[in-house]
Amino acid sequence: MSLIIDVQNVSKHFGKKTAVDQVSFKVEKGQIFGLLGPNGAGKTTTIRMINHILNPDTGSISILGKSISPKSQERIGYLPEERGLYKKMKVFDQLIYLAQLKGLSQIAAKTAIDFWLDRFEASSWKKKEISELSKGMSQKVQFIATVAHNPEIYIFDEPFSGLDPINSEMLKEVILEEKRRGKTILFSTHRMEQVEQMCDDICLFNQGKAVLQGNLQSIKQSFGNNTVLLDFIGDSEFLNKLEEVRINNRSTNFAEIRLLKGASPQTILEIAMKHTKIQRFEIVQPSLQDIFISTVNDTKVST
Amino acid sequence: MINFSKIWLIIKREYITRVQTKSFLFSTLLTPLLILGIIGFLFFLTLSDNEAPKQVIVIDETGRIFKPLTQLNATRYLPANASQSIEQIRELIMEDELDGYVFFDENFLSVGTPATFVHNGSGGITFFESLRSDVRDVTRQIRLEDNEVSEAVVAIFEERPALENRRLNEEGLDEQSNALISSIGGILIGVFIFIGLFGYGAVLMRSVFEEKSSRIVEIITSSVKPLELMLGKLLGVCLVALTQFSLWIATYAGVTILAAPVAQFFINQRMGDFQNTLTAVESTSKADIDLSFIEQFSIDPLFIFYFFVFFVLGFLMYSSIFAAIGAAVDSEQDSQQFMTPVMLPLLLGYMLNFRIAEAPDSTFAIIASLFPLTSPINMVTRMLVSNVSFWEVTLSILLLIFSLIGMLSLAARIYRTGILMYGKKPTLKELFKWLRQA
Repeated sequence: MSLIIDVQNVSKHFGKKTAVDQVSFKVEKGQIFGLLGPNGAGKTTTIRMINHILNPDTGSISILGKSISPKSQERIGYLPEERGLYKKMKVFDQLIYLAQLKGLSQIAAKTAIDFWLDRFEASSWKKKEISELSKGMSQKVQFIATVAHNPEIYIFDEPFSGLDPINSEMLKEVILEEKRRGKTILFSTHRMEQVEQMCDDICLFNQGKAVLQGNLQSIKQSFGNNTVLLDFIGDSEFLNKLEEVRINNRSTNFAEIRLLKGASPQTILEIAMKHTKIQRFEIVQPSLQDIFISTVNDTKVST
Repeated sequence: MINFSKIWLIIKREYITRVQTKSFLFSTLLTPLLILGIIGFLFFLTLSDNEAPKQVIVIDETGRIFKPLTQLNATRYLPANASQSIEQIRELIMEDELDGYVFFDENFLSVGTPATFVHNGSGGITFFESLRSDVRDVTRQIRLEDNEVSEAVVAIFEERPALENRRLNEEGLDEQSNALISSIGGILIGVFIFIGLFGYGAVLMRSVFEEKSSRIVEIITSSVKPLELMLGKLLGVCLVALTQFSLWIATYAGVTILAAPVAQFFINQRMGDFQNTLTAVESTSKADIDLSFIEQFSIDPLFIFYFFVFFVLGFLMYSSIFAAIGAAVDSEQDSQQFMTPVMLPLLLGYMLNFRIAEAPDSTFAIIASLFPLTSPINMVTRMLVSNVSFWEVTLSILLLIFSLIGMLSLAARIYRTGILMYGKKPTLKELFKWLRQA
């Protein structure tokens, strides 16, 4: 395994505000790497620094073993959180221009863009201006702009935000396919279920700091089997009587219960049986959401 | 460090997308048509008798002035009808039947009581001046007669020595010069540069905040440096301006080359009409003056070269500030506050221009044509109106280049930070902070 992105002790300040504080992480070849954290945690700033749009105040970033530079920018396909294209420019001209800025020759850009437009069944839009396209269509164009220069690394900032379910599913498939082709993918999100489905490694951001990182499965294992999933029919009032637990997720007939020190799953089952009809009772690893909340709460206490 | 091939890609995009727009096509085509129309109108004015004949009644209590006046201008001066009272004459003037009357008191010649000209306000200053000059001529003539001055002295008073206006050009040849035309040309060229700097500066600024508000700027800056993007945009828009100007200058040159033969044609026609009234000598000299008048409108290629040099340098300097403003704000409305300080020196240059066209070699004209914020407008005007020494032009260009580089590097810092900042409009304090960031 070779190192693709190496972020070391990187900090970035805007005035008095510390946006990124001594962050380090490594992304290996062929991984899908998730940056997670609440809004304003420093994810986008970190991503901009990896893209050489912003310069870190301290620390260093290497891409494919070399310090970041205009050359490293050409190896990255970047999809920013706020999507943007020239509204008054034709789809094809625009894609050619953006690919050329990434270092492609005009001929190579044409071939690549024809391939991608064909793949997304979008060849008929070539001569259209972006302002004439629907939102879903312009999202596809945006995606082609990100991948057309065939980069080794993809960086997606909140890639699923604003996508309809069909495009969202398509993007997921493309990401997994690019991973199979040996590409390295780093994406940021605040939606945990996507991370659980796709990521190999994660780095959890809170208030500019990387508070938790590593392999997703090992992180989950290290938290142990401490969560009870309960499906029931009946009054959910009994959940309030449980002691030494935290209820992460509840609805009229479902609860995700985190066991705190000393709480026993047996006790919970007994109480639940007295009040409701049990449909499911399962002891599992904590969800990433839960890990995220407890880690963030822990750091709040410790700081 | 700067990647020129990427700047070239940006220049190409800026240029092509702009030149292809309908508004570029229209403004490029319509402006020469407008200029053509104005030139045609000017020719029409100079070649036709533009003064409507005026009629003035002379109430002459001295009894000596009316006759010589009619000798000067038979159609203008009418005798006062004995039966007409002053009130009736006034009535006629109010009804626009008459343009006015001149009243000479009986003491006009003896004591010097001023004569009065009462009119309906239609004549304007030119008419009044010509009336006054007639009255002076006549009065002087009468006085000369009264004092029985010798013929020789009368001749001295009637003499009108000519002063020909010839300007020495670069080749050392003196050519017919018309100070009025070159002054007007100087004013026009200044207005032209002012509109060019301001108009294309605004085009650039709008394009910067379009990129910012459409958020494409983040994708672009993940491929090129902000400085490269800014330079590419500046040069691209500058090329669009130069393209438009070149088309106009070509049209203008074509028109002025064609104008001489066309005008000659009309003059020859009119000369036929006047042949009887004018002596042969007078008519040829009149034709000569009219033709050199047209030559005044032709432009020296060297001047066009300097015009482009000053426009390009001035544009890059001012538009780098416009680019910084466009990057600092999110919308056109927010830009107003920052526009004002940029507009001030530009407006100053514009306003000084009118004085410089009149007095191109005064001290303040020299200062304004060297000062980099005003020189793009004022030096070009001076060069058109007067002969500016080579070292002054060179110094002015050098000063402009230095301040352009300084302005560019300051603007690049604001631009770099601004294009990725969204939300609230930055305060001046924040802008200074951006400037200080390395």
